[in-house]
Amino acid sequence: MKKLLDLRFVIGFFFLLVGLCLFAGSFLMQPDPGKTESVNRWCGLLYMLFAAVMLLLWRFGRDRSSESES
Amino acid sequence: MHLQFIDYLIICLYFVFVLGIGFFIKNRVKTSNDFLMSGRSIPMWITSLAFISANLGAQEVLGMAASGAKYGIMTNHFYWMGAIPAMVFLGIFMMPFYYGSKARSVPEYLAKRFDEKTRGFNAITFAVMTIFSSGISLYALALLFQVILGWKFEFSVFLASGIVLAYTFLGGLTSAVYNEVLQFFLIVLGIAPLVYMGLHQVGGWDGVVARLPDSMTHAWKYMGDASDNPMGVNLWQMGMGLCFVLSFGYWCTDFLVVQRAMVARNMRAAQNTPLVAAFPKMLMPFIVIVPGLIAAVLMKEAGSGYEIPLTNGVTNYNMVLPSLLNHFYPSGVLGVGLTALFASFMSGMAGNVTAFNTVWTYDIYQSYLNPGRSDRHYLQMGRLATVFGIIASIGTAYLARGFNNIMDFLQLVFGFVNAPLFATFALGMFWKRSTGHGAFYGLVGGTAAAALTYNLTTAEGNGGAIAHLHVFRSAMAQSFMVAIVAFVSCFVLTVVISLCTRPKDKESLVGLVYSLTPRPVRDQVAWYRRPVSLGIVVLVLTLILNLIFL
Repeated sequence: MKKLLDLRFVIGFFFLLVGLCLFAGSFLMQPDPGKTESVNRWCGLLYMLFAAVMLLLWRFGRDRSSESES
Repeated sequence: MHLQFIDYLIICLYFVFVLGIGFFIKNRVKTSNDFLMSGRSIPMWITSLAFISANLGAQEVLGMAASGAKYGIMTNHFYWMGAIPAMVFLGIFMMPFYYGSKARSVPEYLAKRFDEKTRGFNAITFAVMTIFSSGISLYALALLFQVILGWKFEFSVFLASGIVLAYTFLGGLTSAVYNEVLQFFLIVLGIAPLVYMGLHQVGGWDGVVARLPDSMTHAWKYMGDASDNPMGVNLWQMGMGLCFVLSFGYWCTDFLVVQRAMVARNMRAAQNTPLVAAFPKMLMPFIVIVPGLIAAVLMKEAGSGYEIPLTNGVTNYNMVLPSLLNHFYPSGVLGVGLTALFASFMSGMAGNVTAFNTVWTYDIYQSYLNPGRSDRHYLQMGRLATVFGIIASIGTAYLARGFNNIMDFLQLVFGFVNAPLFATFALGMFWKRSTGHGAFYGLVGGTAAAALTYNLTTAEGNGGAIAHLHVFRSAMAQSFMVAIVAFVSCFVLTVVISLCTRPKDKESLVGLVYSLTPRPVRDQVAWYRRPVSLGIVVLVLTLILNLIFL
């Protein structure tokens, strides 16, 4: 089977988008009654941090496979 | 529960990504092996996460939270004793035969080891089970979203099945596996904030222990007698029924999970798949069971503002997790939590359909109905089987809607069929004298013994269709005993009939039986990367966790 789509990139990109939505939404949306927008803000940051880790792993893995091919 | 724009945005984002994965993988699928077995090219970290994620359907996610609220920390036994040891055994002892035999499925291994009738029995029962499981997942999804969001039943059924059909038809097993890994991270990251917030509100684990009965915060202390613990099971029933028979019978023989290890790139990756998967698996109770304990504490707190919803006046424990999401999460993260639930239902469905289409195409269609055709033909059949699987799942979902008891009935039948399987595989892999006749009649006899035991005993109003010879304290205790009887019956029958029938030549069993297969030389692999070392570390960590929550 030909070279597979790198899942680390897909997962990283997905959570980056979700994190950005939550982080931006925490400033733009009216908070729900009885709940704080800080939950969205912190979760957004958490997801973006996770996304950064996945994207770094993707990049690191891509560099290693390029070196082994050359 | 009222969703806002941001919640729908996150759900739609997820749908775009799962469809995109299917679309991008489509061009890489050229053969039936690519479609049905991912070309056996999946990296180990993906197979490991898919291995546990295939089992992490929404019924488990919702069910474990429900059990956590009802039974407390004893629910952990389903993970630390009811999964981890079996996963270690699979990785170290059984994967060399599954992978080394070059079997494309578990039934195909049975054909190589025993004979076609044993393969046929397992293939047909498994194929039927997976379709019904997929339909039940779909039904449960539609029902849940009807209750919490007010979505029409038909809308949820056709939306979910349409998306699953699209990405499995396009990308086959690879698509399903990739989405399972995405689902895993969604579940963990979608529920972890809830666990943090919930524990913070109740005062941490100390607060949980202070407010709940002692029997709900200890996993082993009250196992001496079934009347002492909320699960109503004793040590023998738990140890033999769950931790051995049901656990090994599922994790070591169910093709839905074993398939994820069989598509690894090489033997070492295949062996390490369940072993590496054991690490996140042992931590999953903190994600799926602790919410149930949090709910139990909040129910006792006046002024917490939380209650487990009622259905027809009865506490509906299956609504623990959705109601906690609604209690703690604002719009935004709520969308993530609901997407995680949606993803787990859909992945459960996709996993069953992809396992079905592999077993149908290779073990039933190619073996019995239309052998000797081109690979392109079998690739097309695999795709057709995917469509059929989804349509049949929709039909099952409507059947379950019309006859609610059918769900319980099907779960029961699955239990009867799964319970004796490990005896067959254990004898097949570790006793060269076992024969095809022994295996087949052992399986049939074990299944019959399970059905008989169930109908001769009762528990919580279930069973006893023939007689009431014994009353179990709980339905769980009954199911564990049914499993024990089925295993022992299958084992004894297989041994007796094998000794009376002729075995295969030893030469044909090389690579299929432990004592006739040369051990692989692992000098070039560092000791800490060997499966046995990994297995020991897993078991030691599991033991420590059990001691902490003794």
